[in-house]
Amino acid sequence: MKKYLMITLSLFLITFAGVRCSKDFPVDSDGLLITTRGECYVSNFELLGADFVTVRSTAAVIDTTVLTINAIVLYGTDLKNLYPQFSLVTDAKLDPKIAGKVDFSDLANPKKYTVISGNRQVKKTYTVYITVQPKP
Amino acid sequence: MQRKYFSLITLMLVIIFFYSCKNDEYSVPLGKTGLNNDCIKRTLGPNIVGTNIEFAYAIAMPVTTGKIVSAQVDATIAGATGTYLENRSFYTNGSGVDVGITVGSTSVTTDTKTLVTFTKDTCASTLRYFYTIPEAARGKSVTFTFAATGSNGEKASFTMGPYVITKMDMKLDLVATDNKACYISIADMAIFDAAGAAANPGNIDLVYLYRAITGITFNHALASPAASPEYLPGITLPTGVNKSTKMSKTWALNDFNLARLQYGIYIDDVDFQQLDFTNAPNFVINLKAQAGTWVETADGKYRAYIYINAVNNATPSMTVSIKRFLMK
Repeated sequence: MKKYLMITLSLFLITFAGVRCSKDFPVDSDGLLITTRGECYVSNFELLGADFVTVRSTAAVIDTTVLTINAIVLYGTDLKNLYPQFSLVTDAKLDPKIAGKVDFSDLANPKKYTVISGNRQVKKTYTVYITVQPKP
Repeated sequence: MQRKYFSLITLMLVIIFFYSCKNDEYSVPLGKTGLNNDCIKRTLGPNIVGTNIEFAYAIAMPVTTGKIVSAQVDATIAGATGTYLENRSFYTNGSGVDVGITVGSTSVTTDTKTLVTFTKDTCASTLRYFYTIPEAARGKSVTFTFAATGSNGEKASFTMGPYVITKMDMKLDLVATDNKACYISIADMAIFDAAGAAANPGNIDLVYLYRAITGITFNHALASPAASPEYLPGITLPTGVNKSTKMSKTWALNDFNLARLQYGIYIDDVDFQQLDFTNAPNFVINLKAQAGTWVETADGKYRAYIYINAVNNATPSMTVSIKRFLMK
């Protein structure tokens, strides 16, 4: 009886020690999982107005080679109060983070956003060019 | 050792058997004696001056002890004209329709008290109370004391509240028409034509216009008089109409009081207080039914929510309902 108890206890301790000593998954400063993925690109881009309705007149054109996003917005769009939305490749993250409304009104100095790959080794900075639909 | 375990298990089984076979004694619950009453508030959302707060007040006493003689509501602030206590008791029929049975004389309101004297021999009744919120209650709290008297002299009472009455105002279904009654005043909660706007230019905050421009979506718009002329095409403003009103466009913010649709959304005083109009534009275009816009007047005195109930491209016109909050 005592023998079986000792064996069970030993097995439990070994299992416990094994689990405790396994390597934790690495996370970055944002608490996000660092993976092995090296892909780094924007797959979709959306711009919402203050009413959370899209202000794009056409689909945004994303060039992953020259790292640009070109979006044409509706005439009369309030460029100072826009919510950009980026869809990124799996495990990637965006810098700076989008915390709320963004002012895109300075068209001469377009906003730049950096995509960081899942392994946090690749960084690509996209420039967002906004064009307002002209009045005919 | 084995015998010891056997005895222990047997003892446990006996205990389990003993408890599991115990009969739960049941007794029919006894009804409350004497005159009893209860109350619920039927209306939801903010309590706005000019609208009703509705309650359902239930009274009952054992049939052997007597009948209901009277029911009364005492509000801490006298209700406006239209305040009354139903003299009918309602039941819901098989079709789900509320059917009223007259149980007393028409209610009599004296100052803060509203009284119904029963004329039917009844020992159970639910009366509805409609309190029309008076101007005097704006920004204050109101408490209601419901009371009933039985023929045996028994009395019962139930207190509801306090309920905070909002500071905001509300105006429903104002119609703005392009190039006609198109000057909106938040201060007046009204829409004026050019002559009316010229008579009181300082109060005009917005201009309604409709433009079908090929190649862009302008359509129904609200623009400040001080907005860029490109957002006021074809508009000649009356002299002195020059305010710049901050605006923030919304979509599907279907406030129940304004929209009167199925959505349980209510804009309350606190919503106006928490708005941030930093960098807000002074125009909104391409407005549709069920859209809206938050507004802050140029002097910061008022904030408002303008809800668009309907738009008409043919006339062209826009029906709006407004909630307004006095900021200072």
